[in-house]
Amino acid sequence: MVIDIRRCIACHACTVACKAEMSVPLEVNTTWLKIVEKGTFPDVRRFWIPRLCNNCTDAICARNCPTQATYKRDDGIVVVDQHRCIGCKYCIASCPYDVRYINPLKNIVQKCYFCSHRVDAGLVPACVESCPTRAMVFGDKNDSKSEVAQLLAANATVVIKKEMQTDPQVFYINADETAMSNIENDNHYYTEGALIKLKI
Amino acid sequence: MEHADVNVVYSVQHQLPLVMYIGQYFFFTGLSAGSFVISVIATLLGRKEFKPIGKITALLAPCLLIIAPLNLILDLEQPLRFWHLFLFYNWTSPITYGSFLLTAYPIMGIIYAVMVYTNRQNAAKILGILGIPLAISVHGYTGFILALAKARALWNTAAMPTIFLVSAMVSGIGLVVIIAAVRWKWFDKKADKETREGDKKLILQLAQFMAYVIMLDLFLILSDILVLLTAHSDAFEAGMLILTGNFAPLFVGVEIIMGSILPIILVLGPKSRKSLSAAVVASILVNIGVYAMRFVMVIGGQTIPLS
Repeated sequence: MVIDIRRCIACHACTVACKAEMSVPLEVNTTWLKIVEKGTFPDVRRFWIPRLCNNCTDAICARNCPTQATYKRDDGIVVVDQHRCIGCKYCIASCPYDVRYINPLKNIVQKCYFCSHRVDAGLVPACVESCPTRAMVFGDKNDSKSEVAQLLAANATVVIKKEMQTDPQVFYINADETAMSNIENDNHYYTEGALIKLKI
Repeated sequence: MEHADVNVVYSVQHQLPLVMYIGQYFFFTGLSAGSFVISVIATLLGRKEFKPIGKITALLAPCLLIIAPLNLILDLEQPLRFWHLFLFYNWTSPITYGSFLLTAYPIMGIIYAVMVYTNRQNAAKILGILGIPLAISVHGYTGFILALAKARALWNTAAMPTIFLVSAMVSGIGLVVIIAAVRWKWFDKKADKETREGDKKLILQLAQFMAYVIMLDLFLILSDILVLLTAHSDAFEAGMLILTGNFAPLFVGVEIIMGSILPIILVLGPKSRKSLSAAVVASILVNIGVYAMRFVMVIGGQTIPLS
């Protein structure tokens, strides 16, 4: 998937479409927008970045899953077998992107599967379908005729946390470095608008 | 920092995946591994005065290791599916090594305890030698569980398995000192004076050994923190989180000062080194410190947001 931030208008349509398509419960999100503000008044600018599972080629979650519930399909999509997952949450602890969560209704781990059921039916993921500005593009990057491959060839792209050696498959065009990073400011442990539940 | 004037307007963080059940599990396996190693040392030395300690610890190790995995199963979102671990195992996952080790080790510990209690010295010695690598891997792998979750900077260090092993030794010896002292005080009255003196000396020696292991633990923690503070930005944040951030009272106060430095002073200090109650107090403090360390590692490691 390629996400062109130059086209993104931060409308949250992808978040809502994903919630509807995947029946994501309240409290948790599979796809969301991260928004940061940089600078001091009056020199302020807002940056944002749509976040979703990177469906990494070398997925640390699949490597660490003790029951093979998380595995990679032949087309590269990382999926969770919901009948095999025991909910040990080790994949959530290992994921560098914090895109996995426990579904509070089903008590298993869930994440973005690039809407694999839609892909199998020849459609694009719900977030891509709903994006009003076509900022999100989905396809096979190895097929040189696909729009994804052409965008990747013609643009400078970045991935989140390349240093984690997971080979993420969500590429961003014109993404802001601070919005991509998880270290933002000195007192970021309880960020505004973020949900932290301390279940000790 | 580079972007000190950045505000996060909106982001999503999910709830902490691993809760304190995991920390408790680490604590109990640590106690078990530590007491097993003490037991085997006592058995191997084969001296008469080590016998009481060898027996207590031989019984403690499997008992604690039956409690420990219950914490793990309670932590699962689908506890009734725990058998998937054995049926659909994945060899690249540290949890898989653990689920097999956690089955083999208590069984071996029970056989070993039977051998110790029925006085079959040679069999106990052989089982003990075979069991030490098993005990080390049972606790070492818990360090690997954290270290191989590479997203979390506080966990992702090569020192983690060693720190876990050494702190396991510390807490295990602490528990043995407490139990041996209780036995000396209330259940050992009939023995003659010489045996009682010897037992007391043995407990004090054990407490001193604990102090030296704490020093090793402190060195490992120091090197871990130094490396965290000089590594990449996430690691720096993790180091500052436990040194000056939300987890500083627990880490610096409870773990380092109360759980490590104070026990060393109590056990090795010239005034209190011959006192059994000082050794017991030190052992209790040490166990509180190690429990706090498990809390800081498990909960603190997950507090830094990743998104």
